[in-house]
Amino acid sequence: MNLLWVVLLPLIGTLVPLLTERFGRNVCAFSVALLPAWSLILVLMHVGEIFDGEAIRQTIEWIPSMGLDLSFRLDGLSLLFLLLILGIGLLIILYARYYLSDKDSMGQFYAYLILFMSAMVGIVISNNMIQLWMFWELTSISSFLLISFWSHKPDARKGARMALTVTGTGGLALLAGLLLLGNIVGSYDLDTVLASGDLIRAHAAYPIALVLVLLGAFTKSAQFPFHFWLPHAMAAPTPVSAYLHSATMVKAGIFLLCRFYPALAGTDLWFMIVSLTGLITLLLGAYIALFKHDLKGLLAYSTISHLGLITLLLGLNSDLAAVAAVFHIINHATFKASLFMAAGIIDHETGSRDMRKLNGLMKYMPHTATLAIVAALSMAGVPLLNGFLSKEMFFAETLDQSMLGSLSWMIPLLATVGAAFSVAYSLRFIHDVFFNGEPIDLPKTPHEPPRYMKVPVEILVALCLAVGIFPAYLVGDLLHAAAFSVLANDVPMHSLSIWHGFNIPLFMSFLAMVGGITIYYNRRHLFEFQAQFNEPDAKYIFEGAVQSLIKFTQRIMATLENGSLQRYVFLMLLFTLVMSAYPLFELTQNAGSRPQLPIDGVAITAALLLIISAIATVIWHRRRFLSLIYLSVVGLIVSLAFAKFSAPDLALTQLSVEIVTIILLLLALYFLPQSTQKESSNRRLSIDLTVSALIGCVIGTICFAMLTTPLNSISDFFIANSKTGGGGTNVVNVILVDFRGFDTLGEITVLGIAALGIFKLIAKMRIYVPTRDDKGRPWTKDRHPLMLAMVSQSLLPLALLVSVYIFLRGHNLPGGGFIAGLITSVAIIQQYVANGVLWIKPRIKVDYQWLIASGILMATATGLGSWIFDKPFLSTWFDHFHLPWVGEFELASAMIFDLGVYLTVVGAVLLILANLGKLTTSERVDNKENV
Amino acid sequence: MEAIYAFCVGILTTCGFFLVLRGRTFTVVIGLTLLSYAVNLFLFASGRLTIDGAAVLGQSTEYSDPLPQALVLTAIVIGFAMTAFLVILAMRSRADQGNDHVDGQVPTISNNSAASNSASSNKGNN
Amino acid sequence: MLNTAITIATTLVCISLILNLWRLFKGPSRPDRILALDTMYINSIALIILFGIASGTALYFEAALLIAMLGFVSTAAMCKYILRGDLIE
Repeated sequence: MNLLWVVLLPLIGTLVPLLTERFGRNVCAFSVALLPAWSLILVLMHVGEIFDGEAIRQTIEWIPSMGLDLSFRLDGLSLLFLLLILGIGLLIILYARYYLSDKDSMGQFYAYLILFMSAMVGIVISNNMIQLWMFWELTSISSFLLISFWSHKPDARKGARMALTVTGTGGLALLAGLLLLGNIVGSYDLDTVLASGDLIRAHAAYPIALVLVLLGAFTKSAQFPFHFWLPHAMAAPTPVSAYLHSATMVKAGIFLLCRFYPALAGTDLWFMIVSLTGLITLLLGAYIALFKHDLKGLLAYSTISHLGLITLLLGLNSDLAAVAAVFHIINHATFKASLFMAAGIIDHETGSRDMRKLNGLMKYMPHTATLAIVAALSMAGVPLLNGFLSKEMFFAETLDQSMLGSLSWMIPLLATVGAAFSVAYSLRFIHDVFFNGEPIDLPKTPHEPPRYMKVPVEILVALCLAVGIFPAYLVGDLLHAAAFSVLANDVPMHSLSIWHGFNIPLFMSFLAMVGGITIYYNRRHLFEFQAQFNEPDAKYIFEGAVQSLIKFTQRIMATLENGSLQRYVFLMLLFTLVMSAYPLFELTQNAGSRPQLPIDGVAITAALLLIISAIATVIWHRRRFLSLIYLSVVGLIVSLAFAKFSAPDLALTQLSVEIVTIILLLLALYFLPQSTQKESSNRRLSIDLTVSALIGCVIGTICFAMLTTPLNSISDFFIANSKTGGGGTNVVNVILVDFRGFDTLGEITVLGIAALGIFKLIAKMRIYVPTRDDKGRPWTKDRHPLMLAMVSQSLLPLALLVSVYIFLRGHNLPGGGFIAGLITSVAIIQQYVANGVLWIKPRIKVDYQWLIASGILMATATGLGSWIFDKPFLSTWFDHFHLPWVGEFELASAMIFDLGVYLTVVGAVLLILANLGKLTTSERVDNKENV
Repeated sequence: MEAIYAFCVGILTTCGFFLVLRGRTFTVVIGLTLLSYAVNLFLFASGRLTIDGAAVLGQSTEYSDPLPQALVLTAIVIGFAMTAFLVILAMRSRADQGNDHVDGQVPTISNNSAASNSASSNKGNN
Repeated sequence: MLNTAITIATTLVCISLILNLWRLFKGPSRPDRILALDTMYINSIALIILFGIASGTALYFEAALLIAMLGFVSTAAMCKYILRGDLIE
């Protein structure tokens, strides 16, 4: 069978209600039930194999490169939970059909519900920890949607937010825990992790992983001190409470404890944390439940208490206790879900959930009342009902431990006290609601609900009875299979029967019954006692905490993110400095073993020029034109450095880019202030200077260390294959157009995009045009001096010739498309400078955008062309030819690629500079005077 | 020689970062240009320094590493495109905001009072 | 003989480069500075040619060619800037 479908069917089912909502409530409910039912049938088909102790696995590759698979496994524990999730889910669908009013969007409700159902199914059949976690988070999100279903109610919104915050935080802790576990074991595969229990428990990180995983489980299962969200989640529609908050979602935490039982349990730490948390939760929940006047509030705290009971059992580190825990999961789900549904019916038919108003309903709705009473008795642990059986096992287990040393006797005692309170609040539920006089001020006259609304309750209550009377026949196999997968070894002998003879657990049950009745009988005194205390409302505490957290983060944000770019850059630099300087402390020696080049006079002179001009650029940065002149000296020296250190291509590129940059900056400077006042305080300047200098030192040190380390380069391949494989002797150019041609294609695309972006930014820019220079002198009248125009015009053919020359020889000698493109652009820009836009316009009719586009297209087409010859993208072809007069020459497809590069560069540079220059053409005041 | 080279890269980095920390767009652009010199030299240095060994086959006996050169070559061109984009952005900011401060508005507090004022008023004051 | 000549020439060019920078510092006017920059370009050409002769390769001569051609463009652009403010109009 396909396990994937078990989770996929409900997931697809999420869409069903949205589609069928328009066909009426019955059709909608029926169609919604179909896919989960199908999924349930798929599961049931394999009950036999599971009961035989097999586990069914299925793995589908998902992201193999990251070791992530979609991995599923169906074993006894999964089966138990799947029956609960899908079985009770189907009953809830039927129940919700009658519960929802006409005003509620049924499709939306069902969609959320089924989404939640799929997420739960996903959790229980996942065989990969990360996958499990994803479904885990999905339950948090879908339960948020369900709790806040009545989003017009503030209580619902706040309750949902609280539930999401608490369970979401727990989810993050869980993720950390799972990642840690995966790290310890070396695999995220659940089978592997569960089989490595000894390795995990012996690992140093075990306590951290355990606490993180437990945080996830405890928040989800509403264990103390995270229990507070559950009562507030009761603002949800009752079907949601019945489903999520009794049978499934809160059980997800318990499921997690069971699932990881083989891997994490068995240590003292596990016992201390899990059992004590469970014990406190058990007592606290049972005690508070008694004082709740709200029907669902009572049930919520009772749920907390029972979850505590299961947690306590799991924490006892005893195999039998784990069996008892699994048994109680089944029993609690059946009686609590039916109680919630009964509470929902009462709320639905009377309009109130306040037990001070609800009285004597036995008379008005005897059928419902009978069902609710049976379920409540099961909750109290009365014999012949399933609650009794697991409670007996629980008592037996609390007796059979000695973990607290000589104080171990306290655990059974406290367990009995908790059970007594449990009896008391169950009694209150029965007596207060169904007897105890007449109802007071109910909004509606109570009456029986529609026939089919009671069916789910009847089924569940029948189960309570049946399991209670014939436990071994009904759930013996299921319990055995589930316990088998929890314990990951043989299940100890346990007998599921009603009568074990007169023993201490029976006596404890008796004590709890008597104690519970006594407590309920004297409840008036207890209520008065409790009334002295101001019960803290978790809602206000939580909201207060959230508010102060928001304020705190706002303060941090205001400090860090104050809108000042300078501060951001400064902080970033400081961080970079710390991060990069730290490893350098551990480096004892800067210089590597590579022999260093001798120092010569030219190098010293050039370095001197570079350093002085760089510093001068900084010193006079407020006099911008001056700073620009120094900047061009720096650029010149950098180009010379490239030439000196055997990189002629770089020298050529740097030189031409240098000129283009200067023209660009001059163009921009015209529109910007020419100089600025001193703005920074001296203190600020010295701090900035210190940080920059420190970073400069770090970078210089790294650079020196790198330069003196022997080189182990992959470039030998390029040098060896340049001529034979790429057909060119200039290795740098062959790398650009051939070996790494795909990179170059990307780069010219970026260049084109940048140019187009600039083109759009320039469009419609309203700019201030100065009429005088910074010293207040008027501009000269001569727009295009004759000398300059003439020289420039004669320079043009020369420059174009050079650029063609550089382009053609690029494959074999320094040059190529990039450099040739830059030279051409500079030559044309010079015409713009010398003769003006109006002069160029009739002479160059090429649209620069088209130039960019055709360049990129040409380069891409060269790459695609190789597909025609069944070669990979951008394979090159070359051959040598002989022509009379010309001699031998070479043709290579890389040349067409380089032509594409050339066209793109020309187009981009001209698009940027010419458009920037054109800004003023129509605007200058003195334009007409000179024409 | 290597020490001189590394020192120059350090100086360029220092000057570049110092200017990037200033508050006016044009100065920041100049700083970025200096920084891109430093970055290009640094990247180039990853192929180590060779004199008289251009990576042109048949021209010398020992070749310099051509790979960093090819990378830096495109980096120079892309660097120009980036500078151009920033410059235009700076102009656009001046045109739309009326000033050339990097934050789009000149801090209102003058230098003299800034020192005595609270830290929050200090924020954009370069 | 050639080596000696190259050494002397290189030294002289280096000195003149430093002097150019001195002029760039001193100014006093903008045209002075632009001229200083232009002369630096010329001296760089010399430096590259000398370097080429010394190492016996012609690979770097294109760089000299480019400086000669493009240095002019740069100088012209700066002059245009101080005269008209606007380079392209």
